[in-house]
Amino acid sequence: MLDRPGTSGEPSVRTEDLCKTYGRGETAVHAVQRISVAIERGEFVALCGPSGSGKTTLVNLVGGLTDPTEGRVWVDGKEVGGMSERQRARLRLNHIGFVFQAYNLLPVLTALENAEFPMMLRGVERETRREQVLELFEEIGLEGLHDRRPGALSGGQQQRVAVARAVLGAPALVLADEPTANLDTVASDALLDVMELLNRERGVTFIFCTHDPRVMRRARRIIRLVDGHVERDAEKETGDLPSWVVEPVNS
Amino acid sequence: MMERPKVLVRIAARNVRRQARRSLLTASAMVLGIALLMLVRALEAGGHMAFVESAVRLGTGHIAIEHPEYAASRDLVHRIPEEHLRLAEDEVAAAAGRGEVRAVFPRITVGGLAQSPSSAIPVQIAGVEPAREAPVSFLAESIVKGRFLEPGDRLEAVVGGGLAERLRVELGSRLVLMAEGAHGELESQLVFVTGIFQTGIPEVDRGTVQLPLETAREWLGVGGDATSLNVILTSERWTGPVARAVGERLESSLGAGEVSVKPWWEALPDLHAGLQADAVQTYVMFLILLAIVALAVVNSVLMAVLYRTREFGVVRSLGLNRRSVGGMVMVEGTLLSLVSGIAGMLLGLVLARGVFRNGIDISRILSEEDLAFGGAVMDPVVLPVVQSGDVVAILAIVMAIGILASLYPAWQATRIEPAEAMKVEH
Repeated sequence: MLDRPGTSGEPSVRTEDLCKTYGRGETAVHAVQRISVAIERGEFVALCGPSGSGKTTLVNLVGGLTDPTEGRVWVDGKEVGGMSERQRARLRLNHIGFVFQAYNLLPVLTALENAEFPMMLRGVERETRREQVLELFEEIGLEGLHDRRPGALSGGQQQRVAVARAVLGAPALVLADEPTANLDTVASDALLDVMELLNRERGVTFIFCTHDPRVMRRARRIIRLVDGHVERDAEKETGDLPSWVVEPVNS
Repeated sequence: MMERPKVLVRIAARNVRRQARRSLLTASAMVLGIALLMLVRALEAGGHMAFVESAVRLGTGHIAIEHPEYAASRDLVHRIPEEHLRLAEDEVAAAAGRGEVRAVFPRITVGGLAQSPSSAIPVQIAGVEPAREAPVSFLAESIVKGRFLEPGDRLEAVVGGGLAERLRVELGSRLVLMAEGAHGELESQLVFVTGIFQTGIPEVDRGTVQLPLETAREWLGVGGDATSLNVILTSERWTGPVARAVGERLESSLGAGEVSVKPWWEALPDLHAGLQADAVQTYVMFLILLAIVALAVVNSVLMAVLYRTREFGVVRSLGLNRRSVGGMVMVEGTLLSLVSGIAGMLLGLVLARGVFRNGIDISRILSEEDLAFGGAVMDPVVLPVVQSGDVVAILAIVMAIGILASLYPAWQATRIEPAEAMKVEH
């Protein structure tokens, strides 16, 4: 069993010489190349960089959704590569929340059922689940929409349900891949407020893949990837937007 | 039910409904297949029961009690003595529960010659007891001219239509029967044709003569003995239990090897083998139908899996393990099979007990000769008979097929890698 968040004293996420290569020979694509980073508990980190720089692949490697070609990943001090498929599933279920760019809600479930799905898999009582979902839905402007299927929700509403699904039950780590890509300013700010609150009050670690300056402004650490390498990794004050995050590659 | 299985079943059920058109097409194929399977099975059961019914009512009975050697020798030496006959009748009455036995009658059956002024033909001659046999006799039902034997008859006889033609005899004609008697000498008996029957079974119509049992006993010198005691039951399904019970009782009272108690499938091995061969043909058809059902399930569930690759990637990334993902797919296939199975059975029942309750006339497809085999004949109007065992077996087989056919799609679903799956555009 993995330790509960904040009890092991290890970084939330650590990678060592992490590599991921797709294909072989001349057509091989080196999506991630020898990345070694450590992200402490409670950090609010933005991974930025141009498309194809390896952000999503890095997040997938951290979440155990794909295997590294080389190198190692630890989440909460436990090496993901050494886990069985079942242990990885348990890690994702109990410690990691995912937010995907394309919402990825289950179309046959209602908004409420989608949001409570991971909690239900964890065995949280029905009443507790429903109470938490409805409370969060109210905070993020989804009140009254809990019975709707994803097809009857706007893109922004679907993404808010997806975020609710990721953060409910307070996982130790949330991996969010372009969570605001399809949202307007108001919806983005509402979501980021919720995530900041969880980060501040419950110590949940957030790692965003993003191109969105609004996300990067709120981040307290930005890691810029280029061609699968870490080009720059710096802490910053909330509200700042360093010029290098939007600089063209190799400038 | 725990929460996780409950939600997985809910997702599976909603996914079946979500692809309504595909599910409906698959279900329709399954429903039709299963309904057809039930109807064919019911017709087969009805046809077989008709064959058995006619065969046992020709005289063998559902159970035939004979001397152990008689079936092979057909010799009067191997007959049942009168005292054993009485004991056997008592044991049948005792072993059979109330209402299981419809008729019990002794017979003398010998091979012999029937001679008319114009011809002599080898025949099977049976001495029967009209009072006991007439109510259940298939020959009595098949009389086309004259009448069947009646109590008090002495020199009357009934003959098959084919035999009457070959012997050129009519009602009232004289006939001399010749056979080897109990003492090994050729004995003759004069009889008068009082009835002509037409069963549709060539070997019966062309070679059978029946006369009163008492006349036959006197003629052949067997006293009160008989070659067999035949039992007709109210339902064919009692045959095994009653035969076993009578056999055990007779063995304990007479000792082993004195008489043999044969259920109809032992007494009529040709008919039994024929019905079994027919059943094999039906099973082959069943296999083909069931293979179609299996393919329909595989196709539908596999398509559903491929269509939802991305969703499987999502649930995996949310923490559902491979086993649960496979289980979700299995539930889908099983649900589809269960619903289609029940609907198919209902349609099958409607067909068998509703639309075709008066039977299907097969006389246009089969000639009269095709309706007879193994010494039995089938009515050209086949009545479907739905047996509860068949209903349960078909549903169980369909469910098993649904589960087995979902294994491959479920295995495919477990192999989906979440990161790759979420790149799939649907």
